[in-house]
Amino acid sequence: MSAPSVPAGAPAPVAVVTGASGWLGQNFVRTLAAQGRERVRCLVAAPDEAPPLELVSPTIETVTGDVRDPATVDRLFDGVGPEAAVFHAAAVIHPRRSVRELFDVNVGGTQLVLDRARRGGAARFVHVSSNSPFGVNPGPDDVFTEESPYNPYMGYGRSKQEAEQLVKLAHDRGDLGTVTVRAPWFYGPYQPPRQSRFFSAIRKGRFPLVGDGTQRRSMVYTGNLVQGLLRAEVADKAPGNAYWVADAEPYELREILATVRRALAAEGLGVSGPERVPLPRAAARAAELADALLQGRGRYSQALHVLGELNHTIACDITRAREELGYEPTVGLEEGMQASIRWCLEHGERL
Amino acid sequence: MGTLDTEILVIGSGAGGGITAARLADAGRRVTVVEEGPWVDADAHEPFSLGEMVTKYRHHGASLALGNPNIAYAEGRCVGGSTEVNSGLYHRLPDSLAADWEARYAIDGFTPEELGRYADRVERDLGVSTLPGAPPPSSAMLERGATKLGWRNVEFARVFRYDAAGRGTKQTMSRTMLPRALGAGATIVADCRVQRLLRQGDRVVGVRARRRHPGGAVERLVIRADHVFVCAGAVETPALLQRSGIRRNAGNGLKMHPTVKIAARFPHPIDHGDVPMHRVTEFAPSLTIGGSASRRGHIAMALADTGLPFDDALADWQNISVYYAAIRSDGSGRVLAIPGLASPVVTYKLTDGDLSRLARGIVHLGELLLAAGATELHPSILGGPVVRRADELGAWWDALTRSRANVMTVHLTSTVRMGEDRHRTGADSFGRVWDHRNLRVNDASLLPDAPGVNPQAAIMAIAARNCDQFLAS
Repeated sequence: MSAPSVPAGAPAPVAVVTGASGWLGQNFVRTLAAQGRERVRCLVAAPDEAPPLELVSPTIETVTGDVRDPATVDRLFDGVGPEAAVFHAAAVIHPRRSVRELFDVNVGGTQLVLDRARRGGAARFVHVSSNSPFGVNPGPDDVFTEESPYNPYMGYGRSKQEAEQLVKLAHDRGDLGTVTVRAPWFYGPYQPPRQSRFFSAIRKGRFPLVGDGTQRRSMVYTGNLVQGLLRAEVADKAPGNAYWVADAEPYELREILATVRRALAAEGLGVSGPERVPLPRAAARAAELADALLQGRGRYSQALHVLGELNHTIACDITRAREELGYEPTVGLEEGMQASIRWCLEHGERL
Repeated sequence: MGTLDTEILVIGSGAGGGITAARLADAGRRVTVVEEGPWVDADAHEPFSLGEMVTKYRHHGASLALGNPNIAYAEGRCVGGSTEVNSGLYHRLPDSLAADWEARYAIDGFTPEELGRYADRVERDLGVSTLPGAPPPSSAMLERGATKLGWRNVEFARVFRYDAAGRGTKQTMSRTMLPRALGAGATIVADCRVQRLLRQGDRVVGVRARRRHPGGAVERLVIRADHVFVCAGAVETPALLQRSGIRRNAGNGLKMHPTVKIAARFPHPIDHGDVPMHRVTEFAPSLTIGGSASRRGHIAMALADTGLPFDDALADWQNISVYYAAIRSDGSGRVLAIPGLASPVVTYKLTDGDLSRLARGIVHLGELLLAAGATELHPSILGGPVVRRADELGAWWDALTRSRANVMTVHLTSTVRMGEDRHRTGADSFGRVWDHRNLRVNDASLLPDAPGVNPQAAIMAIAARNCDQFLAS
């Protein structure tokens, strides 16, 4: 990675990471440890998530518990000392029980971590957000910028919008230097099981291509996103702002599917079935409607939610992250997908 | 059957009606105020007592907005309306909200500067001040807990005047604006409920009402008026419009500040005569924390919310005070007048985000009270749990569900919203009901949204502004 040219300070010796055992968290915590930070204090949700992180480096300390619980977040910050960098990645994307969970964790958890970070005198608070507060682009050629207005996509979008607003408020009233990093769809190592199903469906020619597949999606390789978070920690211009952090350009959906098939083949996995399983847009619209109806009654179906979103262009422009954070994505789709697939194979996943 | 004639009829005598009556009477107009509730001497009942609840509240204080969960609400029903029974807390409409409402609903001239000018006058007329001495223990607990946690808190001003000895008197409408209106020649008719407006084309020519005389005799009354101001509050105002055949944007879009409570037990006595004037604004505007009326009856009701045995705590009621967390809500409700029923049906739908915000509010409130030294917290959640240590607070997240939350409110607004966007408003920028030349609304119904703070200051400033516009037109 070339040295970024934007004005920036030094990274904090101590980092606090929530959501440390998640998809992004696993990648991020390993990078922090490899950088030689003095201490990396991690919040994980369940006891069996702690040992794999503790194994990575003696500088990694774990706290197990619920990000909504004041006593847990107190323990997370206990003895951290001032001037730490706080990275808040804990969130629920696909709730297990009810839509309410999205708000409890994504808003309630953010408020608590913000509060403890402020009281602990944190040097910076980097908040991981999403494209969902902005909904979908009006047309396939549109992209979101930092000026795009909020237009939240269902319960998750509303919860992440409310969280972003709390983060911004904390900066604006002088509590804390906060930065929001908005990441679209990720890919990369340490992926959850749902992503293995994504690969396996594409491999078997069962993943639906909604419409003609020219709708575009921004995606972000986890390694690129990790770089974005680290830049947000140090860049002088960052506090008070939000940035889109994604791969260099958005991809057409048909290109994503074709690239994944090529990457699977390159890793020695034979692909079968048709490259395209066309699904009429009406079917995706029906799924979207069903998802909205269900969420209106407090319930959630991951399959309907994902299918409903596939119909749309969700693309962003990373110009401001490049200019103000010195962010420069180094990994592209094919290389990143190959790395993901390799990780799956090395970890015994069956695709 | 009697008849009355007046130039200006003001229906309702609370924050909106009281200001309206005084300003129009001061300007030399002939004003009649009708009030459904009784005229009760402001000194007749101890503030926040049971006697006050029975005489001055609608439904004796037990009104209900239907939904999942139902939400209990309270509003005044007496000469002076809710200003007679509230805590007197006074907070100007935040500038950012005024600007937001002006843009969103196209409200003419609704600028922070203009509202500020009206607020200045209201404050001069009524008397608005902070406490001259140290706060009572119930309020000091909020300050202490917030200070320990590093949370912003502030002593709110109240509509109070203090004598040389530091004794405060709440400046209710029956003590201020209504006597002023009487002095300027207005008439006030108490125990008189308006049943419907009499409309002729685009004009209202009068109203039909029922007046209850001392001793119980009921007189049917027609009141003829050149101009009618409906100031009956966010529930009764749209209900009256609907009963009179005016339904467009009247009664939908009800907003409120849903509220949850904790009865907190301290290892020392707490005062019970006043309502805490401190507010914790750390989490504003989405949620605010404060103290509630905490007479023995309120404490018993709050303790009973868990449905768990509370004899031991009630025996110690001198050491207990009730606190609340109130949220700004994404949900909304409606008011629907039903033929044959005196009271409209009120519904309110809390969103999942609202429920979550209430849970967040009660957890933060619990943190604050423990930091202030409370030893036992009884939440308004059926089944509790009662909490004694900080590491038990997290359990409230999952305990506060739609079926177990006890939610209440004292602030209802937004049922006849104002502004030039006719699709979303029931009245123009100055409260004139659409398509009617001489019918105006001038109360909490006009606020396009719940303001996140006690609404009476906003209601009064807006009412005063609308009166000036009426007088100039």
